[in-house]
Amino acid sequence: MKRSRSVALVLMGASTIVLSACGEPEVDAAVYENLQQCIDDPMITRDQCETAFKTAETRHSMVAPKYQSKADCEADFGAERCESAPYRASSGGSIFMPLMMGYMMGSMIGGRSSVVSQPLYRSADDSKNYRTADNRKVGGATGVTKVARSATKRPTVKSRTVSRGGFGARGRAFGSARG
Amino acid sequence: MQRIPVAEREDWRATAEEHGFKFHSIDDDPYWDESAYYRFTMREIEQDLEDPVEEIEKMCFSVVERAIADEEILSRLRIPEPFWNHVAETWKNGHKNLYGRVDFSYDGRGPAKLLEYNADTPTTLYESSIFQWVWLEQAMERGLVPQGCDQFNSLHERLQSALAQFGIDGMLHFACAQDTEEDRGTVDYIEDCARQAGLETCVLHMEDIGVDADGRFTDLDENVITTLFKLYPWEWLMIEDFGQNIPKSGTQFIEPAWKAILSNKGMLALLWEMFEGHPNLLPTYFEDDPAAAALGDTFMRKPLFSREGNNIEFIRDGVSEIRNDGPYGEEGFVVQAFHPLAEFAGNRAMVGCWLVASEAAGMCVREDTVLITSDDARFIPHVILD
Repeated sequence: MKRSRSVALVLMGASTIVLSACGEPEVDAAVYENLQQCIDDPMITRDQCETAFKTAETRHSMVAPKYQSKADCEADFGAERCESAPYRASSGGSIFMPLMMGYMMGSMIGGRSSVVSQPLYRSADDSKNYRTADNRKVGGATGVTKVARSATKRPTVKSRTVSRGGFGARGRAFGSARG
Repeated sequence: MQRIPVAEREDWRATAEEHGFKFHSIDDDPYWDESAYYRFTMREIEQDLEDPVEEIEKMCFSVVERAIADEEILSRLRIPEPFWNHVAETWKNGHKNLYGRVDFSYDGRGPAKLLEYNADTPTTLYESSIFQWVWLEQAMERGLVPQGCDQFNSLHERLQSALAQFGIDGMLHFACAQDTEEDRGTVDYIEDCARQAGLETCVLHMEDIGVDADGRFTDLDENVITTLFKLYPWEWLMIEDFGQNIPKSGTQFIEPAWKAILSNKGMLALLWEMFEGHPNLLPTYFEDDPAAAALGDTFMRKPLFSREGNNIEFIRDGVSEIRNDGPYGEEGFVVQAFHPLAEFAGNRAMVGCWLVASEAAGMCVREDTVLITSDDARFIPHVILD
């Protein structure tokens, strides 16, 4: 047969299947408030704790949400819960980001884990739960736990845009790009 | 290859809307036209189209190999000098290509002749992959076409599998220009395939892309764009304000920058120079090449960057017979031997063959009443039946 067996669409058209969070698959992950809590957990070796913590800490300044004012950051994450990012805006002003409140790593149960080691945050309006840098809910539990798979993906790098609108001029002048 | 008139499904417009096919008509004229279909034999598909299109892709790769090592060629193709190194690097580093459409003049009798290769921003994808497939299912079910028909169309499966194998880590961003309904339809469709391939996706307009202090591209949520599917021509990207950021942005583009060599009609002249006499190629030359005299005084004249048939001119016996308007041409022209599109019941048919990850993946037939296919050419479905 020279044609596709089926042509299901998930986003376009009336047949759209809404992906619901309650139906989302969960995976094993380990969540800790700090390095010591991980080291104290007999499920994970000290080596694994340290490697994952170091990775999460390094990623923190890259993936954490960024703000131009401390007040805006604290409005989202709470008083005294924000710090300066280790770089400045091109205008010279400081950039703020929430403090790292914990970290997540693979559980190491059953061999290789797809969970990416990453920092976790707590937002002011939902302070019981850990959230990823992409604002995905991880839950309040620490230790080896079940986490929605979408929350275990590699967090995106957050930046501060300094300029927009540098693409599109030819499109406006010429019309469609289609060929 | 036969053209067979057939009854339309009475409810096709409603079906189109249901399936998210919003550009099925241009003004009030149908763009999707199921008042006829083309019937091909399996031999025609496999020997005359599928094999040649994959062979042409391989020949095109030889053209890329040659072009990246030759500054004179890059300059003839009007690729801006600051991008020469970047174009070469994306090829040498194996940046993957997703898709392309090769347009042929084919009538079922002689070999298919390559007219152009839409290597960078082809559209017509959704209707080829989905709506044509749905038409065939319903047309067989309702007895409009014989049972047991097949179709040259594994686009939906191949796009998903190619995207799954791209090795994309993190989010795949999609961008097209504002207010371009058909472009957006193509982007939405490929995004749908990407989601089904397990990728995280986000769509934005080209105009909304930002640049951060490190020269990286950003979306409207301040995420750094690491992989970008852009339905926006490379020759535009390279000359716009943010273009200078591309080589150091760290963003992987789909299609990759080396496709700028193949989406350029100068490539047709290079193909002919390297593979002269190949049965699927038409003699083609850069306009200022003295060898172009070999074409005599009847030929097609095509701007290097033209799209939608814009600015293409047909010269017969030294006289301009058809000349399409448009904004292209400043960049120079190629001249190509005249090979008329096959005529069926007063219509001129062009056969577009799809490549996904460089493998033959499907086909669309477009019909027009004139010799130069433009963006208002109608889409006619096809079947394979021996």
